[in-house]
Amino acid sequence: MTVPPVAAIPGERSRARRGGRSEDGAPIGSSRLSGYVFVSLYVVLLALFGIAPTAYAIYLSLTKVGGGIAWGSNFTRAFQDFRFLPAFEHVAEYLAIWLIAEATLILVLALMLHSLARRTSAAFRFLFYMPGALAGAASVLVWLFMLDPTLSPWHFLLSILGYAQIDLVLQPSHLPLIFAIMAFWTGAGGWIVVMYGALNNIPDELLEAAKLDGANAFQSALRIKLPLIKKWVVYMLILSFAGGTQLFVEPQLVGQATAGLVSNTWSPNQLAYYIAFINDNFNEAAAISVTLLVLGLVGATLLVWRTKLFEIN
Amino acid sequence: MATVTFKEASRIYPKTERKAVDRLNLEIGDGEFVVLVGPSGCGKTTSLRMLAGLEPVDEGGIFIGDQNVVGLPPRSRDIAMVFQNYALYPHMNVAENMGFALKMAKLEKSEIVTRVREAAKILDLEEYLERKPGQLSGGQRQRVAMGRAIVRKPQVFLMDEPLSNLDAKLRVSTRTQIAELQSRLGVTTLYVTHDQVEAMTMGDRVAVIKDGVLQQVDVPRALYDAPINSFVAGFIGSPAMNLLDATIVESGVQIGRTLVSLPQSFHQIAGIGPVTVGLRPEALELASDGNGISAIVKLVEELGSEAYIYAQLDDLAGETTVTTPEIVVRVAPTVVVKSGDRITLRVKDDSMLLFDAESGVRIKGR
Amino acid sequence: MKLSHFTWRIVGLIVLLGFTAFFFVPVIWVLLATTKTDVQLTSSGPFSLGTLSHFVHAWKALFGFQSDAMVGWLENSAIYSFGGVAIAIIAAIPAGYGLALTQFIGRRTLLAITLVTMIMPATALVLPLFLEMNSVNLTDTPWAVILPFSFFPFGVYLCYIFFSSTIPKDLLSAARVDGCNEWGVFRYVALPLARPVVALVAFFAFVADWNNYYLPFVMIASNSKLPVQVGLEYLISSTEAFNPGNPGTGAQLVQRPELALAILVAIAPVAIVFMFAQRTLVKGMLAGATKE
Ligand SMILES: Nc1ncnc2c1ncn2[C@@H]1O[C@H](COP(=O)(O)OP(=O)(O)O)[C@@H](O)[C@H]1O
Ligand SMILES: [Mg+2]
Repeated sequence: MTVPPVAAIPGERSRARRGGRSEDGAPIGSSRLSGYVFVSLYVVLLALFGIAPTAYAIYLSLTKVGGGIAWGSNFTRAFQDFRFLPAFEHVAEYLAIWLIAEATLILVLALMLHSLARRTSAAFRFLFYMPGALAGAASVLVWLFMLDPTLSPWHFLLSILGYAQIDLVLQPSHLPLIFAIMAFWTGAGGWIVVMYGALNNIPDELLEAAKLDGANAFQSALRIKLPLIKKWVVYMLILSFAGGTQLFVEPQLVGQATAGLVSNTWSPNQLAYYIAFINDNFNEAAAISVTLLVLGLVGATLLVWRTKLFEIN
Repeated sequence: MATVTFKEASRIYPKTERKAVDRLNLEIGDGEFVVLVGPSGCGKTTSLRMLAGLEPVDEGGIFIGDQNVVGLPPRSRDIAMVFQNYALYPHMNVAENMGFALKMAKLEKSEIVTRVREAAKILDLEEYLERKPGQLSGGQRQRVAMGRAIVRKPQVFLMDEPLSNLDAKLRVSTRTQIAELQSRLGVTTLYVTHDQVEAMTMGDRVAVIKDGVLQQVDVPRALYDAPINSFVAGFIGSPAMNLLDATIVESGVQIGRTLVSLPQSFHQIAGIGPVTVGLRPEALELASDGNGISAIVKLVEELGSEAYIYAQLDDLAGETTVTTPEIVVRVAPTVVVKSGDRITLRVKDDSMLLFDAESGVRIKGR
Repeated sequence: MKLSHFTWRIVGLIVLLGFTAFFFVPVIWVLLATTKTDVQLTSSGPFSLGTLSHFVHAWKALFGFQSDAMVGWLENSAIYSFGGVAIAIIAAIPAGYGLALTQFIGRRTLLAITLVTMIMPATALVLPLFLEMNSVNLTDTPWAVILPFSFFPFGVYLCYIFFSSTIPKDLLSAARVDGCNEWGVFRYVALPLARPVVALVAFFAFVADWNNYYLPFVMIASNSKLPVQVGLEYLISSTEAFNPGNPGTGAQLVQRPELALAILVAIAPVAIVFMFAQRTLVKGMLAGATKE
């Protein structure tokens, strides 16, 4: 029954490859079509609530209120608005404080917790992280209490600084710092937990090897752990940057609670809202939205393509 | 039951140049057990997956019975497959795993239960029907994977290194079980392995493949005795055949500094020049008279029933380096040699194979 | 000069305790505040404990505010979040599966768009979304909030990572050999195995949706349809202490202990999810980790 390697049998040349090649070995033909079916609902949502509003914002920003192409005039008008530059300055100041705090305090805390016994550090992590549940309007409210010298548990600190009333605490020049504190209070714990997780992903052998090589705890943190979680730090910073440009609820609520102590066009998003609904000029508002989108897009693109954090294969 | 035929079947993976499977021609008779064997990465899995319909066929055809199955999805091919890592559904228990294909085929519940019971009985899995794969040992998982294939009573079984995740002892016992089961069920089977011992012990016929190209298909004995080329010769058999560079001169075969006489059947090729000499470990014996291939013992492997001497041919100066060829000799366990001893080896009559030095093709004697 | 090991430990401990106070004192203060009267907040020490009866009073006042407005807001939040989370999951699971385990033209592009949109915060899109919703007369309806919520690219990315890293390709092959068509492979093998990622997506989507302020703030006009986050703003504007001498005509006034209680009630669902989901957070955020 021996069949030697038969010579070429002619004919029967590929009726194969009806549906082209499949890279992953999914069966031929049906795979491609079914791929579309699986992503279809998401694609519809993406189109309606991601792409359409983006396109619409761009369209609005380039057209006049009554119709007709405006080219850059909505942008120039928005940029020349006397509230535009301050709004972006506010956010820039806020971001500077918040990002520096992230890059330093969060890392120091995560590294410290990582050097503690697992149980102890778990307790600390939990305490740090729980305020994250109070994100949004709740955290603003909490801090309105915390910053009111008449009832704050920190009143001794506030009085050392010479603030006897909330008006003095909420001076305009303090606001970026205050919003950064709020952001840190709700956001830092979560990131500490994440950074701790990233540190935990470092194989024990690596740290043991460093120990055998003579590194002390401090050196191993600085020279081994930190470089290994660097990409997550970048990830955190860029996400925070993209999110931070969108500040809205904090100045809005603080303004609400202090009867106008904070301008209702303090942040770019507030300004856009104001121009849209109070000035009734959605086109100029769209110009601000598009500016914010571009900032976010730059951040996102940097993150996706420069840090190589994400798999797209 | 059915025959399986690969006709000039090729597979080129996207973004690669070389054919992973290169114009494969292979016929598997009805009920036959054919083993596809070759080193890792030679295209065994790809061939199997092409037959299963999990990988497209870029050229040529594959037939099950008379039907060209190219383009048919796996579910329309009536084949069952045992995967290397078993690919058991982790969320289903053993019974559900085995019955899944039957459920997909919309069989009656009672029929499914009966068939699963039957298979479980054969495979000694009755106690475990309620367990999830995660709660089973490696051997049990392997049997579930087998069970999943046999409950279907398919036209063809495909098995991709089903034993490679078992420990050595279990592998040997399962080997015979699978072979027995297959012959009992009489289902046409294509079995893939990189282990030539497995191939030789299990297959009705064995197909040796290298770099996507089929080298030789034959019954195990024929592969061993009459390999088509030096690759097959070196791949089949353990320890591997000794393949030594040599020159055919007028008076015989020059191996190192030893001249060995050319067997009678090869006289027509006297003087052709460089060849590769193939000598199985059992083709050599220690020469009592000191005449023969001289070598220095590096290691002696005592296996109880036999022993293997690993030696290095020494050069003219009687020295050895790491680059001088090694040679393995099978001897009786009673032979006393130790590392460092100088030995001389004699080639047993009519046990020398010769291969073309360039192409590796075996030179047939008359 | 080299500080001794011991000194470092002390410094470290002080830093940790300092931050613990920073993070947790506000929480404790808010908890305690609900047991006091408004006057006691300023007159007695910040860490003094009030009485249960004050708590009950605050509770009644909060939930009695404008005839059960608070309950309505919580219900709205629940509807918006659960609606958004449900649709997001229904869309994300098959999409992640499709992106990870099937081939189609445009797959990589879709993946790239997903990555970018998941990182870009959606806030800047709220105004054009408002106009979009307005043009189909959906503003001030639950759909105006639920539908944008249900577009959750991060969830799709998590599912994509999950399917591409935890489901062996051979498992899908086995199902195909066992007679499944493409839908069957998904339905019988991928979907039952996707349970862990459902929890992951649900966690992130729920927290994001429940805490979202700006979108409902813009979309919802009627008081009765507000979610609790925006409701909190309404409470602030009705709080006597924050609006001295300006008690809107006939408006019912809110005291600060009630406001503190409102905070706790408003965040309770997220807090509960948070308590159990610390690990989930790490898993989700590090999900993109390309193994080196
Ligand atoms: N999906 C794939 N894409 C590209 N090349 C592949 C793919 N799968 C296998 N190959 C290549 O095809 C060749 C044969 O692979 P395979 O059939 O898995 O070998 P075997 O099973 O004999 O070890 C190898 O060189 C391998 O690298
Ligand atoms: Mg293989």
